[in-house]
Amino acid sequence: MISSLPTLSEPQHFLFQEKLLFVVLAAGSGLLFWRRFSPILTKILASKRDADFRLFPLGRRVWDFFLEVVCQAKVIRQRPLPGLAHAFVFWGFCAFALVTLNHCAVGLGIGFLDPSGWFGRFYFYFAAAFAVACAAGILGLFVRRFLVRPRWLGDKLSWESGFIALLIFLLMATYLAAFFVADTSATARLLWWAHTITLLVFLPIIPHTKHLHLVLSPATVFLSRGSFSHIPPLAGDEDFGLVAGTDLTRLVSLQAYSCVECGRCTEHCPAANTGKLLNPKEIILGLRSYLNECGPASAEPLLGKYNSQEAAFECTTCGACEFQCPVGIEHLPILIGLRRGAVNTGAWEDDYGAKLFLALERGSNALGMSATERDKFIQKQELPYFDGSQEFCLWLGCMGGYDPKGREIVADFVRVMKYLGTSYGVLRKEKCTGDPVRRLGNDLVYQQLAEANLETMAQAKVKKVVSICPHCVRTIQEDWKEYGTPPAIEHHSEFLARHLSQLPTVQSQEKIVYHDPCYLGRYRDVYEEPRAVVSHAGQLVEAPRSHERSFCCGAGGGLAFLGEEKGERVSHVRAAELVETGAGIIGTACPFCNTMFRDALASKGNGAPQLLDIAQLTARALPASAAPTTK
Amino acid sequence: MSGVWVVLEERNGRIARMSWEALAAGHTLGAQSSLSVNAVVAGAQTDSLAGEIATKAVARIVRLEHPLLAVYTSDAFTLALEQFIRAEQPDFVVFPHTYQVRDYAPSLAARFGQVLIGDVTGIGAGPVLHPTDKDPSVGTPVFVRQLMQGRLNGEYSHSGNGTCFVSVQSGAFRADQAESAPASIEIFTPKIEQAQIRTKPGQPFRGSAQTVDLGSAQFIVSVGRGIKEADNLPIVQELATALGAELAASRPICDNGWLPIERQVGSSGQTVSPKLYLAVGISGAIQHLVGMKGSQCVVAINKDSDAPIFEIADYGIVGDLFEVVPALTEAVKSAKH
Amino acid sequence: MKIVVAIKQVPERDAQVHIHSTSNWIEEEDMQWALNESDAYALEEALQLKEKHGGEVVVVSAGPERVGSTIREALAKGADRAIHIDCDDLNQRDALGVARLLSEAIRAETPDLTLTGLQSDDLGYGQTGVILAELLGLPHASLILHVEKTEAGLTVKRELEEGWFQTIELPVPAVLTIQSGGNKLRYATLMGIKKAKTKEIRRVTSQDIGKVAPPVVVLERISVPQKQKSTQILGGSPKEAATALVEKLKFEARIL
Repeated sequence: MISSLPTLSEPQHFLFQEKLLFVVLAAGSGLLFWRRFSPILTKILASKRDADFRLFPLGRRVWDFFLEVVCQAKVIRQRPLPGLAHAFVFWGFCAFALVTLNHCAVGLGIGFLDPSGWFGRFYFYFAAAFAVACAAGILGLFVRRFLVRPRWLGDKLSWESGFIALLIFLLMATYLAAFFVADTSATARLLWWAHTITLLVFLPIIPHTKHLHLVLSPATVFLSRGSFSHIPPLAGDEDFGLVAGTDLTRLVSLQAYSCVECGRCTEHCPAANTGKLLNPKEIILGLRSYLNECGPASAEPLLGKYNSQEAAFECTTCGACEFQCPVGIEHLPILIGLRRGAVNTGAWEDDYGAKLFLALERGSNALGMSATERDKFIQKQELPYFDGSQEFCLWLGCMGGYDPKGREIVADFVRVMKYLGTSYGVLRKEKCTGDPVRRLGNDLVYQQLAEANLETMAQAKVKKVVSICPHCVRTIQEDWKEYGTPPAIEHHSEFLARHLSQLPTVQSQEKIVYHDPCYLGRYRDVYEEPRAVVSHAGQLVEAPRSHERSFCCGAGGGLAFLGEEKGERVSHVRAAELVETGAGIIGTACPFCNTMFRDALASKGNGAPQLLDIAQLTARALPASAAPTTK
Repeated sequence: MSGVWVVLEERNGRIARMSWEALAAGHTLGAQSSLSVNAVVAGAQTDSLAGEIATKAVARIVRLEHPLLAVYTSDAFTLALEQFIRAEQPDFVVFPHTYQVRDYAPSLAARFGQVLIGDVTGIGAGPVLHPTDKDPSVGTPVFVRQLMQGRLNGEYSHSGNGTCFVSVQSGAFRADQAESAPASIEIFTPKIEQAQIRTKPGQPFRGSAQTVDLGSAQFIVSVGRGIKEADNLPIVQELATALGAELAASRPICDNGWLPIERQVGSSGQTVSPKLYLAVGISGAIQHLVGMKGSQCVVAINKDSDAPIFEIADYGIVGDLFEVVPALTEAVKSAKH
Repeated sequence: MKIVVAIKQVPERDAQVHIHSTSNWIEEEDMQWALNESDAYALEEALQLKEKHGGEVVVVSAGPERVGSTIREALAKGADRAIHIDCDDLNQRDALGVARLLSEAIRAETPDLTLTGLQSDDLGYGQTGVILAELLGLPHASLILHVEKTEAGLTVKRELEEGWFQTIELPVPAVLTIQSGGNKLRYATLMGIKKAKTKEIRRVTSQDIGKVAPPVVVLERISVPQKQKSTQILGGSPKEAATALVEKLKFEARIL
């Protein structure tokens, strides 16, 4: 029955001249591809070695490659429809590898897949199925790019993308049509040539267009640093971050050339969505232009003609871009690298930034408050000092120690710990973990803070830390590793979630919308614990953008300290979105988010929802006898 | 040696208040050491100033007069007082701790191998508590001054012979004291030549007055969300006017456009450090606190007694600002008359 | 223009201060140290003058070994070289004693301009710069916010009381004491710190400089002031509270 179906036609008996022409054309096409591709490869390889790059262990790399490249998991998950369309194009290409090889072999009279043999028959049909899907996929993508035109793809229509889409469509069409003609017919021969020429035109176009990602992105995904927002250590006395071409590492250059310009980073970027200069896609493309025009040996500054310093310092380091990127580009090491280059050499001049740096050069906290204010709070709350006998060291952080709202959160969290009978103590002195200066690229002050704190913790013999601030948690756990061995730390959402069964619950149907802090969600992969805590206190409502697609509050990356922002305030946009859900309470899990929303809601007047941290939500249900909450 | 001499300073044609406080400090020293208290005033024309001093309890008044003392220069003042002190050999020379004194008194003292004990907040009677001192000299005064920006007090003694130079902090001694019998007034004319004056001072001027300059304002009245509506702002403006203060605001007020953005105090606005910061209806979010924590004296008016602003305030009034602010405006007005 | 900046290392603003058992100084063990604030402004002014007019910036600091870290910070911010006057008894010297040490080191440099901060954040004498001028026989101006180089010498902006300012012209060489806030401070950079490693720090001992005169003024004892700052809530009717507040502002805070 199967044999009654048409088989793929394979033109036979090519003339010698035809074979010669094919060889010449194929060689020309291949040569042209190489001439265009080799300079790119040379530039990537001529870039500086990544000092902390380790190929092993391979397991993580293979798994990432399998998920993100082979399964196209990220592409599909974050944009299901276009993602699926893309996946079919990709799988189509993979399926076609053997077909294309055979196609060329046929041209030389040495075709190895017999269309009427069982395997050939099966495989050509298998490929045909993908060809149909791929053709449909590319048609869909064409319609999206040229007719629907989502704004993050940019205003400019890319004709080259249209042309490529046409070529891919032609490849599929010529393949499928070959099922309906006889081997010996002139049409079969014509189709073969049409398919061949399309292929040979396609090949040299790849290196100069975003379709370079076909070649590079599998490598980019495979070679990526792996951990989220991994900031590489500076290597040697001459390394100040990304200052000039000579500072670009192979990974950075590879990533710059891998960008497929899909605009997912831009779509999710809080800066790009609120009228700021920063557009993460343009940062990557700026680096690519730099590499094309100046090369990796150039001393020309990276910030200047090709990328703007202003844009680099508008990043909240929310990481939505890095999280979303389907081709393995790690935006945060790049953006923070550019900031490091500007700050470590003194090129960045900003009144607010200088004030923050000076406050942390001389003082203990980012707010520039006197440390005695923290002592006063500890005395007033009668918080015990950590003496090594308690289970937890409670890390207050700048917000918990100085910010009135942060102090309320600490006070309520302490009530919960007391209720549970968990022993804890605070450190006599704490310095800022260095989070804002780390993200702003001030390695000098960051190192001083990290080292001083590590020493304090070592002296106090701290083993386990809990903190109400995701920024502190992240910086202590991950970033401090560069200078020592930090103690184990957890966020209070994790602590609370673990103890929920021992905590009283309020029978409340109050709607609580939970806002995922970037540094808890994307940075720490903690989504469900705070939700469990919220559900314990009321009825959880999800914001339109939640979990790993949560929209930043605008405070991260040191931006909370950099004064007024351009365009719309990120905090206002997010607060409006949360208010829109109709929830009576906004649940937060980060004192920075809390303070940003407090400001944003202030302009909403009396109808604004209540703003409560998850610790406060939990403490509400405690019996009044469990020590009163003090402000 | 000739007792205590107090150097009084002229401000706008009259003896400034701080100089009377220095005189009071001089009396403390005089009483402790049983010394006469005298006054000296330097300038080009000092007759009316001397007349003013003559109403106070001083033994002798010296008018240190020279045309080159018309305008203050450190060179001329140091020279004039140096000659006077060499002639009089005082036990103590007491100054008000003004910017002018800070500019020349250290040089003056150095010319005698002495060191000014500056910015004194209190004078106690000896003996100084010195653990190693077997034979404490009774009657040596102890001078108290602040260290570590007010976090500690230091007690100082003057050792050895020679004149002791002291300057006293504004407000540390009460200036109001008994009037007394008229004192003798003498004139001392120092030898000063134009060539000895190396600096050329210009006319005093005010900081730029056109634009809002909260950074250099001495008094600030700041308003927050407690004001409720833009229409209520005039009551706060009236208080600011009565105090001679600049009007400022927290972020929500400026966000609403009720006051221009350059009047916003806080992390995204101005950082201020006035003598007096009066926060009206401001609860005290951290963004606001970081902008005004350097203020010398903070007063908070808020109806919520739990408002964090009270944590950092020196004085607080818990109450309805719509009642308290007008009452305060009246109180300030009547205090100024 | 050759500029010498005299800087001092003081306890960090946030450091917890404990009184030493001798009761005439603070516990230095475990203390964190920083560059005195107004000295940082003096250094900034010097660096800006150098950037505008060329020349050299030399920092001078007296104190024990630990002062080295503050000197390196100054070099990192852009000073060209440094002189460290080794001296373990700085806090027991009076202002004249300290100025003598500095003056001997500075005299040998023959700078066009000598800058110091207005006042130290620890002892707060506010005299070193003025006495320095006296010892060096140079004209001076104090409380300076801005320095302009002119044909004849310098034009400086001096702060007066209650929001007034004054311009003063003076010849060079001269000594100026710099008030905080006149400029914006630059932050320290990693690159600066790395460059500072190769810059010269010349160490001289206080004995090299000679002349140890006993202090004229002696710090006998230090103590913690009794009254700590706490909020006074004024009660009564609005009128009573308002009247009480005005009284307090007038006679207690003394600012009205």
